[in-house]
Amino acid sequence: MIIPLLKVTNLSKSYDNIVGCKNISMSLYPGEVLGIVGESGSGKTTLINCLSGNLEPDRGKIIFNINNKETDFLNISESEKRKFIRTDLAFVHQNPRDGLRLNVSAGGNIGEKLMSVGYRHYGNIRSLATKWMNKVEIDKSRIDDLPITFSGGMLQRLQIAKNLITSPNVIFMDEPTGGLDVSVQARVLDLIRSLVNELNLTVIIVSHDLAVIRLLADKMIVMKNGTVIESGLSDQVLEDPQQEYTQLLVSSVLHV
Amino acid sequence: MIEVKKVNKSFTLFNQNNAKITVFKNLNFEVNPGEIVALKGPSGIGKSSILKMIYGSYIIDKGAIIINNKNIATLSAQEILKLRKTSIGYVSQFLKVIPRISALDVIMEPLLNSGDNKNNAYKKSIKLLKDLNIEKNLWHLSPLTFSGGEQQRINIARGFIKDLPYLLLDEPTASLDSKNRDIIINLIKAKSNRGVSIIGIFHDEYSRKKLNVREIDLNIETKH
Repeated sequence: MIIPLLKVTNLSKSYDNIVGCKNISMSLYPGEVLGIVGESGSGKTTLINCLSGNLEPDRGKIIFNINNKETDFLNISESEKRKFIRTDLAFVHQNPRDGLRLNVSAGGNIGEKLMSVGYRHYGNIRSLATKWMNKVEIDKSRIDDLPITFSGGMLQRLQIAKNLITSPNVIFMDEPTGGLDVSVQARVLDLIRSLVNELNLTVIIVSHDLAVIRLLADKMIVMKNGTVIESGLSDQVLEDPQQEYTQLLVSSVLHV
Repeated sequence: MIEVKKVNKSFTLFNQNNAKITVFKNLNFEVNPGEIVALKGPSGIGKSSILKMIYGSYIIDKGAIIINNKNIATLSAQEILKLRKTSIGYVSQFLKVIPRISALDVIMEPLLNSGDNKNNAYKKSIKLLKDLNIEKNLWHLSPLTFSGGEQQRINIARGFIKDLPYLLLDEPTASLDSKNRDIIINLIKAKSNRGVSIIGIFHDEYSRKKLNVREIDLNIETKH
């Protein structure tokens, strides 16, 4: 029996009287990609912000099990939590400007992340940074350039490199291709998918684009008004949706 | 062996006046190791639906689908993912891939995902590309730019690259010329000779004859 890497039980979060997410339970296993879909305001972002430690939920349990070590995420000290977030989790924002420091060089952005988990040797940091620039298809000659000189697609790829370089155990992605134009989107998608396969990453990805979910996610959950209304294998939920709202969502997609 | 036992399947279309479409009532059949079963019947009768039910893409209302002594209907999502990875190959009617990924990578992917080493996966894929008569200058290009027949062969290569005990084939010989059709038929035969249970939809009499299939006529099976 495989133990889930992440097990969430009855997680709830409200903002005063407004429900963010309510009674969310789910499991994620090592190497799985979970997609979260739903309309704006359905609680997708609240959920991953709770799971990634950006928000404190009101109720519920979040248990990570990494290398047979159980972490009760909502019941550890603040310093333990910070350390856990730094070493075991990563968060790729929709807007790469939120996940990067624009006045620090590309290499510096990546290097900072390495230093945060204990790397000290400058030569090692630089060579790892170069290797990752190459992995995300950014010319290594740009390593000392400021991110403000990068295009949107390059910025997103830089943010991905920065997040993956420390080999985190769970990666959260909030609409990672949301702000990019279509041709750049395909390239970033392709990159995420090949990295997921190559490194056997465990990912939770929020997207309103069902095609993105179909291509990347093994499993998905559909959210509405803060609750999970349907969940299952991505192909099953998309091809044989059991709920009225999911059927509406799937049938609303335009095909080219 | 694949066993389909007393399966009911319907679709409820909530956004179209809750219309309920019943596809199967009390569907029963089995596929033995080494056997090739062909689903027969007019379009819309549910041939592809059967493959999707077995693969776990469609949820059944009632009954059981047993593969490897496991009932697909009661497995969790991750158990189905595991069963697919270790046991079930599925060749869909159309190739679905991300732009930019080369044909070779598309074919290698299932092997790499199951932990095969790159060198081995590469060799196996190259052999299959050659067997399938795909020209060398296409190997490193995205199959999205290929012709229908070439795409179909890449799709088959991806589904056939692993040695899995069960294969689901949705019109594998459609959109192929006679020479390439024969190549595919021989590949399917080779799988069958190795004991693979195969269930497929073959639109042409020629393929069904050559493959020596057992036909299941859904016109009869679904009229209870």
